[in-house]
Amino acid sequence: MHQAISKQVLKAWLRDMMVSRTLRQAQGRLLIAPVAEAGMVMYRAVDKVEDIVFKFANTVLSPKEFFFPITDTLFTLRQKDGHPELVTPTMEKDAVLFGIRPCDALGLKIIDRPFLDEPADARYKERRERTTLVGLACSDACPECFCTSMGTAPDDAANVDIMLTENGEDYLVQAVTNKGKALLDGVALKEADTVSTSVVTPKKVPAENIGSAMLKAFDSLYWSRVADRCIHCNICSYVCPVCYCFDIRDYTSRGEVQRVRSWESCEAAGFTKLAGGADIRPNKGARMRQRFAHKLLYMDKQFGNLVGCTGCGRCVKYCPVNIDIREIINDVQKMAVEK
Amino acid sequence: MESLDKQIRDKARELLTSGAFACVMGYERATDGKTARPLFAYTPEEAERFVFDQYCTHNLARYLINWRDNKKSVGIVAKPCDTRAINLLINEKQIDRSKLYVIGVACQGIMEVGWGAPTEKLELRCNTCSEPNPVLHDLLVGEFKSESPAAAKAYADVAAIEGKSAEERDGFWQEHFSRCIRCYACRQSCVGCYCQECFVDELDPLWVGIKVAPAENTVWHTIRAFHLAGRCISCNECERVCPVDIPLSLLNRKLEKDGLELFQFQAGMDASVTPPFATFKKGEKLGTGD
Amino acid sequence: MAIDGFEPRIAGFLCNWCSYAGADLAGTSRMSYPSNIRIIRVPCSGRVDPLFVVKAFQQGADGVLVAGCHLGDCHYNEGNFYSRRRFALLAPFLDYLGIQKERFRLEWVSASEGRKFSDVVSSFTSDLKKLGPRSILSPGGRE
Repeated sequence: MHQAISKQVLKAWLRDMMVSRTLRQAQGRLLIAPVAEAGMVMYRAVDKVEDIVFKFANTVLSPKEFFFPITDTLFTLRQKDGHPELVTPTMEKDAVLFGIRPCDALGLKIIDRPFLDEPADARYKERRERTTLVGLACSDACPECFCTSMGTAPDDAANVDIMLTENGEDYLVQAVTNKGKALLDGVALKEADTVSTSVVTPKKVPAENIGSAMLKAFDSLYWSRVADRCIHCNICSYVCPVCYCFDIRDYTSRGEVQRVRSWESCEAAGFTKLAGGADIRPNKGARMRQRFAHKLLYMDKQFGNLVGCTGCGRCVKYCPVNIDIREIINDVQKMAVEK
Repeated sequence: MESLDKQIRDKARELLTSGAFACVMGYERATDGKTARPLFAYTPEEAERFVFDQYCTHNLARYLINWRDNKKSVGIVAKPCDTRAINLLINEKQIDRSKLYVIGVACQGIMEVGWGAPTEKLELRCNTCSEPNPVLHDLLVGEFKSESPAAAKAYADVAAIEGKSAEERDGFWQEHFSRCIRCYACRQSCVGCYCQECFVDELDPLWVGIKVAPAENTVWHTIRAFHLAGRCISCNECERVCPVDIPLSLLNRKLEKDGLELFQFQAGMDASVTPPFATFKKGEKLGTGD
Repeated sequence: MAIDGFEPRIAGFLCNWCSYAGADLAGTSRMSYPSNIRIIRVPCSGRVDPLFVVKAFQQGADGVLVAGCHLGDCHYNEGNFYSRRRFALLAPFLDYLGIQKERFRLEWVSASEGRKFSDVVSSFTSDLKKLGPRSILSPGGRE
């Protein structure tokens, strides 16, 4: 039998999360959920359950922005009584990320490798450990997504703590991890009478053995031809649930230094500019290839059996000039066969 | 009459067969099967992929700068607003008119379009367009229009912002700017933003820090727009590409409106007219520093 | 109505040939003017990039003054004419973004006009006191 939660109980549960329940959770939790903002759906910290959007395709930015924020102050160095004082920010309270899609949950699993492999990134690690992921299965496929080709599925519960799947007037509930079970503690679940979920199957992309195909297509003129229309903005990297490049700089003011980390993209001119002016990826074709080679080849080489794409389709949707990773995977496979 | 697609393909094939042209830029069908994307044709065969319809939204003049130092000529499919962009680049001596073949398309208006989501609603820029015919062309395809569709209401939305109080305006812009993710797609899509090094990328002096925060974002958007004052040709690509829907045209068109009032200048209409910040009149009354 | 105890910060970009000398004259003539202005000497009012003005506001200035030679008297003949065109467009644009036009001033002050310089700074300061502080864009403000 399946466990289920009614929509009313779900809302009450979400409301309860934000307030104090036990001594250990003295402050309640920070609830991050999809909300409507200026005609778009974005993950935001909410204080009213009424603001949460339950029906949506996917958000503009992936929830990686809460674990690896677009701008993150790593530490502040200031003077205190004539001595330097180092202040590292920490999370004020535990968090719950509600409504994460399986593709984005897989994205977090992927960037766990670069961020959590030792030496682990302290900021990322804390956020990851203190956040419970409540997944929401997709009942509609977007025209741009292809998650089933990238090792996940619209109702994949593998990378979340709790998985919810819409089932008529209820949601089916799967408590996947202990963290998930703890969050569900004391919540009035019921037995699902009937199971009639509608989970979709997105389009397929030939992503098998894409790494070795990439190697064969590596020196092709193809990359500079695709780069012809690339305008080298950073949209694809910034909307991606996997891209994890960043830049670090210090802010100095009135006896205080802040070390700030912000997102950066391999598509930007100057990303690989070195001291002295040399640039190891000086042309558009090299930059274009870098993005796809990193995802489809280098991550696999570096971490083993890992593809840096989850099939969320955001880059397909938001690219202003239609550089479509599905088309590129197809073309690369074709080039590999021809070679 | 022959279809636009065929006229464009025929001319592109002819140019590419001649041997004098490195490339012809136009549009092909995007991977959603409905909208369009830029196509760079290098061979007569590739020219067979050209299409033109109301979803060809990109301003291809943005790519001309990449061909600045090319010995061969290039061909380009250009809508009326795109031809104004070409005029801008000629005026600023960035491209050589003699190495450019412009296939001008008299425009029926472009529909609002996202990938996989073509609409039947005219783009904002087309609702406020004052020039539905190419201002320069070597070949004209499509039907020449004798009157402009909608010049009168062009700045109604700008005037609506002007009518708000200072606090409301500040709040309005801070709300939008705080959403900016600084992907710089607005800059990258722009014909006028061709600086070798953008002020925002300069490290010494550091004009804009890497924090993605309202204070930094405001400097970016203010100066991005102002660097295009008297230069923006209102193709509105910046607003179209913005992934977080910041109404950038409200910035650009405020400057265009004031530029028209103060200097009677509209960018890209005529490549031989000196732009407003490169000249002055001694006795003029401008309302500031008179 | 002035806000109690509020002392506005003014960034003043003064041209080397006229306005800076004018400020000097105000000083050597022992004319008093509010110390709210922080003076930055530039070669010409035409050197003042709109970016300087926007950056000054971002860094917490409550007002920005750009001052140069009178029109026709520019050391470089025409620098201030270009400057005037630029700021004629920038001032309403800043206003549009929520930085009231009273917070920006473009003035012509010659080397012999110490009195005028002192008057400009005094009236600008008192205007800004009435407007109150601009905290929104300053680094210590909202982020």
